[in-house]
Amino acid sequence: MITVDNVSKTFHAPHEVKALQNVSCRVAKGEVVVIIGPSGSGKSTLLRCLNRLEHADTGHIYIDGVDILDRKTNINKVRAEVGMVFQSFNLFPHKTVLENVTLAQKVVRKRSEKEAVAKAMALLQKVGIPDKASVYPDRLSGGQQQRVAIARALAMDPKVMLFDEPTSALDPEMIGEVLDVMKALAREGMTMIVVTHEMGFAREVADRVIFMDQGCIVEEGTPEHFFTNPTHSRTKLFLSQIL
Amino acid sequence: MARVSQQMTRGAYALWVMVFFLIVFGVVAALYYTTRKVDYVWRWYRVPQYFLYKEKVEVRAEIQGRVQEILRSEENALIRVQGDGETGQYTVPAKDLRVDVGDAVYPGDVLGVFQRWKVGILMQGLWLTLKVSLISILLGIGIGLIAGLARISSNPALKWSAVTYVEIIRGSPLLVQIFIWYFVLGTVINTLLAKNGMEQLPPIWYGVASLAFFCGAYVAEIVRAGIQSIHRGQMEAARSLGMSYPQAMRHVILPQALRRILPPLAGQFISLIKDSSLLGIIAIRELTKATREVVTTSLQPFELWFMCALLYLVLTFGLSMFVQYLERRTAVS
Repeated sequence: MITVDNVSKTFHAPHEVKALQNVSCRVAKGEVVVIIGPSGSGKSTLLRCLNRLEHADTGHIYIDGVDILDRKTNINKVRAEVGMVFQSFNLFPHKTVLENVTLAQKVVRKRSEKEAVAKAMALLQKVGIPDKASVYPDRLSGGQQQRVAIARALAMDPKVMLFDEPTSALDPEMIGEVLDVMKALAREGMTMIVVTHEMGFAREVADRVIFMDQGCIVEEGTPEHFFTNPTHSRTKLFLSQIL
Repeated sequence: MARVSQQMTRGAYALWVMVFFLIVFGVVAALYYTTRKVDYVWRWYRVPQYFLYKEKVEVRAEIQGRVQEILRSEENALIRVQGDGETGQYTVPAKDLRVDVGDAVYPGDVLGVFQRWKVGILMQGLWLTLKVSLISILLGIGIGLIAGLARISSNPALKWSAVTYVEIIRGSPLLVQIFIWYFVLGTVINTLLAKNGMEQLPPIWYGVASLAFFCGAYVAEIVRAGIQSIHRGQMEAARSLGMSYPQAMRHVILPQALRRILPPLAGQFISLIKDSSLLGIIAIRELTKATREVVTTSLQPFELWFMCALLYLVLTFGLSMFVQYLERRTAVS
């Protein structure tokens, strides 16, 4: 489904950072992959390269066989198939919750108002906040906003969902509600790549855990392997620090 | 908002309100006193006629002959004059006829007189200022929006064009720009038009163009700042949903930016209304030029210049109110 082949990315401003160094990995359809690692390890950069919010310098990224780094690829088409959820939600503050979920459906998918609203209401039902459809995002708690953001991404019927630290900006009591939605999504067979610090989520939901450090994939494996029997010293160090 | 100023008792507050009005009164009184000292006679009653006045219209005969008949209807009278082989017909309000049937008339004789209300020169000037400002603002918004978007584009042709435009306009006096529009570009364009047998463009076109391009440069910077003040995450969220750059701009970024730039835009438009007073120098009779003309005929400069300032204040205050209304309307719940 997703193939990352030898991808490197260097940031030049404000100072040079080698965010990704020859990273390769694969994600199969229906797989839930959790990427963990210390801050600055390139997790988010890798995720953002997958829908070209960051443009990788070298290497290839294929999503459903499409080379997304190819100049001829229509990136908007690719992005519509790849849902993304951000750490800071990034809901559109000038639109109601319902409009947040219908906007891209109408603009990108060219769905009718009626169709978009029906889809949006079904998704808001799914994430548990259909009663908030007509309010503006600033009236919602962080957890509710993030669930709207998930609904907004799902409205495009993506083939894969990317989560960039979806619970890091939340108050502790709201993390559970967001993780529950993500777990439900994983059970439905959605292909997911999740950057998170929630080790419980990784242990419970992930099919595979990838550990990154300093722009490289250090170790990857099943959660059992990863949490009980890590092989690499850096992984051990990281786990000892956070668990 | 934190209230850091010290609390004031009710009595003290009333006292200082009174002090304010005393200051205002004092300034006005002092001004009046000093003008009397230089023997200026205030004649405010002469001012209204420059807004609206009664014009006396005399209907005169154009041929020599005799008044053959007068057909009176309810309001008007039709006077038929029979001359040597020619007839003339004149419609005059029936109230004030100066001829009767059988009278001999000569060219230039007054047949009837009537009065009608006419809009005075100040009113015309005010209207022209309003019209010129509004058209310039609308064009300026269009130019500014395009230039502002070009300014943040990554395409160097667009970006550098916008930067050049903004810097040239902001770096030179508006007066000079008006001269260039009228005396340089105007001459070139009008000469070319004349050579091709087309009609010349009146000065007001060049005046509006100079104001619109002037305004557009400032609007461009305001638009750029407004767009850049919107969090990067908004664009990323929109793009990650598959929207193209123009779609994201239109549906996500610009609506948010617009709300933020309304206050600075209002300030810019108020400036523009005031700047339109410069157009008098290229023979556009807007409010300031109209006032200058009235002053030379009436010799009442004090009243008229105050009146002129007041009229500008009415325009700018009206615009300011309108923008505040827009701000309230676009405010998110």
